[in-house]
Amino acid sequence: MSGSSSEGGEPDLTPILDMVFQLITFFMLVMNFKAAALDLTLKLPVIGSAMPVDTQGQEELLVLNLSTTGDLTVYGNKVELDGYIAAEAEVSRLAAKRKGEEIEPGGELPTTIVIRSDEASAFKDLYRVIKACQDRGFRKFALKATRPE
Amino acid sequence: MSRRRGKSSEVKLNLAAMLDMAFQLLAFFVLTFKPDPAEGQILLRLPPPEAVAMVKTNQQAGQDANNTNPVEGIESLIITIDSRNGSIDTLKLGDGMIGGAGSQEKLGALSARLGVILEPKDSTFKQVILQVGSKLRYDELMRVIDVCTRQTLPTGEKLTKLSFVELPDGAAGAP
Repeated sequence: MSGSSSEGGEPDLTPILDMVFQLITFFMLVMNFKAAALDLTLKLPVIGSAMPVDTQGQEELLVLNLSTTGDLTVYGNKVELDGYIAAEAEVSRLAAKRKGEEIEPGGELPTTIVIRSDEASAFKDLYRVIKACQDRGFRKFALKATRPE
Repeated sequence: MSRRRGKSSEVKLNLAAMLDMAFQLLAFFVLTFKPDPAEGQILLRLPPPEAVAMVKTNQQAGQDANNTNPVEGIESLIITIDSRNGSIDTLKLGDGMIGGAGSQEKLGALSARLGVILEPKDSTFKQVILQVGSKLRYDELMRVIDVCTRQTLPTGEKLTKLSFVELPDGAAGAP
């Protein structure tokens, strides 16, 4: 109890440091960078046949969030539809060209458009987005929904 | 050199500073952690809609002078959904009305009709064109898409080739 300062006042911090580093490693491994592209305020419809599809990183995805008011947001920023889709189409075309695949203007682009739309949004807003993508050459679409519990 | 010194001169690492930094890192990762939402998706191939040569029930052969390619669009099945307040008001498959009291009954009847049409080996339909009222809610549309994508074509493939056409308000009820 009344030992000198060299004997006992300092706790051994090594185990707690080990544990904290293990926790840091865990959170680094489960960190989801893709979640930044998702607008989690949107309420998606519940559809039984909506299945998670793992593209194994082989396919490029373009995530578009569509609100009930018809606003399009990407990574939390509201974007102007036609200009943004045109720019992304050009990026997709250039990416395909880097892989040795030449795509003519108006040709089918390899990127999959992932649409996350609120369940209460109107079809006219969804159709506006789909049509803008189709006009730029996108053909592959994934409509997001929530899976039933 | 230092090995020859006595035990009293051993270097002690001050772990408190490292622990502080580690806790700060941990706090950052805990605060920015967002679990992946349990989401699924319906994969679709959406070509732009093409003109379809629809033959009306009372139409005679050669009556439509504008129809230069009567075979065009014969592989397309047309589903028309009209909506005035966001939900499915009327549902048509081709010219035929799909009956039912509510959306659930209508979708059940649609699923049965699609199964009958697409099941035969000689069925030529390969895609579905959805003509949709502009006010239809996304969740109602997804339920119709869900019914369509559950269907299997005679080739054994799932029906994923859909096209959308926006209907002006009240157009589906027009003759």
